[in-house]
Amino acid sequence: MASISLRGAQKSYGDHQPVIRNVDLEIGDNEFCVFLGPSGCGKSTLLRMIAGLEDLSDGELRIGGKLMNEVSSAERGVAMVFQSYALFPHMTVFENMAFGLKLAKTPVETINKKVGEAARILQLENLLTRYPKALSGGQRQRVAIGRAIVREPGVFLFDEPLSNLDATLRGQTRIEIARLHKQFAAASVVYVTHDQIEAMTLADKIVLLHTGKDMEQHGSIAQVGTPLTLYHRPVSRFVAGFIGSPRMNFLNAKVAAIHGDGVQISLDDSGEMLTVAVSGAKLTVGQAVTLGIRPEHLETIATGASQPQTLSRTVTLIEALGELSYLHLNAAGEAPLIAKAPGDAVAKVGDTLTFRAPAALCHLFTEDGFAVPHLETLP
Amino acid sequence: MIDSVPDTPLHQMAAPAVKAVGKRRSPSARRQQRAAWLFLAPACVMVALFVLYPIIKSISLSFYNWDGMTDKTFVGLANYVELFHAPTFYTALKNNLLWLLLFLLAPPMGLAIALYLNQAVAGIRLVKSLFFAPFVLSGVVVGLIFSWFYDPTFGLLALILGHGIPVLGDAHYVTFGIVFAALWPQTAYCMILYLTGLTGLNADQIEAARMEGARGWALLWHVVLPQLRPTTFMAMVVTIIGALRSFDLISVMSSGGPFESSTVLAYYMYDQAIKYYRYGYSAAIAVVLFAIMLVYIAWHLRRLLRNEH
Repeated sequence: MASISLRGAQKSYGDHQPVIRNVDLEIGDNEFCVFLGPSGCGKSTLLRMIAGLEDLSDGELRIGGKLMNEVSSAERGVAMVFQSYALFPHMTVFENMAFGLKLAKTPVETINKKVGEAARILQLENLLTRYPKALSGGQRQRVAIGRAIVREPGVFLFDEPLSNLDATLRGQTRIEIARLHKQFAAASVVYVTHDQIEAMTLADKIVLLHTGKDMEQHGSIAQVGTPLTLYHRPVSRFVAGFIGSPRMNFLNAKVAAIHGDGVQISLDDSGEMLTVAVSGAKLTVGQAVTLGIRPEHLETIATGASQPQTLSRTVTLIEALGELSYLHLNAAGEAPLIAKAPGDAVAKVGDTLTFRAPAALCHLFTEDGFAVPHLETLP
Repeated sequence: MIDSVPDTPLHQMAAPAVKAVGKRRSPSARRQQRAAWLFLAPACVMVALFVLYPIIKSISLSFYNWDGMTDKTFVGLANYVELFHAPTFYTALKNNLLWLLLFLLAPPMGLAIALYLNQAVAGIRLVKSLFFAPFVLSGVVVGLIFSWFYDPTFGLLALILGHGIPVLGDAHYVTFGIVFAALWPQTAYCMILYLTGLTGLNADQIEAARMEGARGWALLWHVVLPQLRPTTFMAMVVTIIGALRSFDLISVMSSGGPFESSTVLAYYMYDQAIKYYRYGYSAAIAVVLFAIMLVYIAWHLRRLLRNEH
């Protein structure tokens, strides 16, 4: 129902350095957009700018095509669910949900109908006369969502809505929110989280934000794309390291040869040669690069014969999670190399194992932190 | 190993323990209760000595005629009969009521000033401390300042109006004049209470209300005031008590005059005891004032107890 467009948006407090820099962003109708980033990256600030709770220091914000910089929050057609839920403690569930409608002088029958409908969808019908203090965390969460729904906004804003819930409830509510989004297909959603599982499972589009020095150098936005784009085609080492758990392994290397079907590199610590399926057009032989390979893409193979496209490493620690085991392998870098192995694998500390690193699943980063473009595009 | 666990259903195992708790307190609960009483004891002793004993003593004294020096003589209800026939008593009662009603302006005025001062502007601390100042002044000083302010010959009021009005010398104006002076520090007191309350507001709730379209009066009425309810309660309590025990300003500004037209029960009592040595009669006034306060205290206690449960 309402698209959101940010052009050159900046935010700074007083004379300090901007905390949000150069944000150009288009969020389409009916899109579920997640702002993801490390703490302190300004994702909540960006959300509050859309909500109208913070001014833009520079740039412009349009919602549904209309310039919103000077429009008050109430008139932007947005509704927000706060991290703390921000329910009014002296009002019943019904009064909380009806508050905005009552202020807008909506006829009583309409209020009753809309609140009743929202309560039905959120299974709050039996709780309408209760006060927030008599509700559980999950119920309060649903009331907060209900308060947003009854106003039929063009945009729903969620500020870390699940962070106050326990793990089980978080999983349930996540699914609930996804279901609600399907039901209210007309509205777009902006959702702030630091939890990449929430981001990956809910988002149509993830906006990953930089912090600190990266933000000063490259602006606030690190990458915008679908969850799988960010996973498979990170544009920088920051994005590659942020998405995925355990995080991607990074190994220093030099370009050894450039071919049409990829770039051959030699690892600095072991001298092993690997081919990475990226375009060598802008690389030179001998250039220092960083190889990135996700733990889940390191595939254990039978030890012995030295095969191409493999790494041989000694296991230093095993974290057994049951379903999977994380194998920590010796590496020259500051962090160990980690490989995911099936939970029933029988590796022991001290074993030397051989791993295959498929060329298409390896990433290459230049010294300035940017990714070298892959040869294959994503399906 | 597993076989060694007795095959008793869980509820049977738990039953005796539950019963024991219901019947008799555990040693640790008894210890806690003893500690609670020990902590309460000093306060109980103080209250008994300085509150309960004087109350009982005053009530008994109110049935006697006593000038403080000669022997007391029992007069039964004579003091009360005289009191209920004294026109000054009704003047004092009426003035007490006037004080109470006008004093209730202090909480809303304090709230208004607190809302005004609750903004982040350069120099606001200085302005706040200026508003805070009258609260620090002693009642006598406030009384003197306002006596000068009202003075028809050289007072600021005469200067502003161009001609003097003998506010404190006119039986129609005197109580209003004193209450106005008393409202000055009382408003400052309420303002401080509200300023503290305002810093404790939940910012998320205010923002949520703003997003729902509330602003101005609607925001104040539906979201801010409900959050300030404990503060409002506190402000009402100190204001009502302040109104009922008003004494110092009356003593400094008018001594209850002219013709006892500005007296209140507390001042009337003081007057009878200290100036006329009528301790029994003055005790009877004290008992009546106590009875009036009791109505309020009962309401207050009921509220406190209800909130606790």
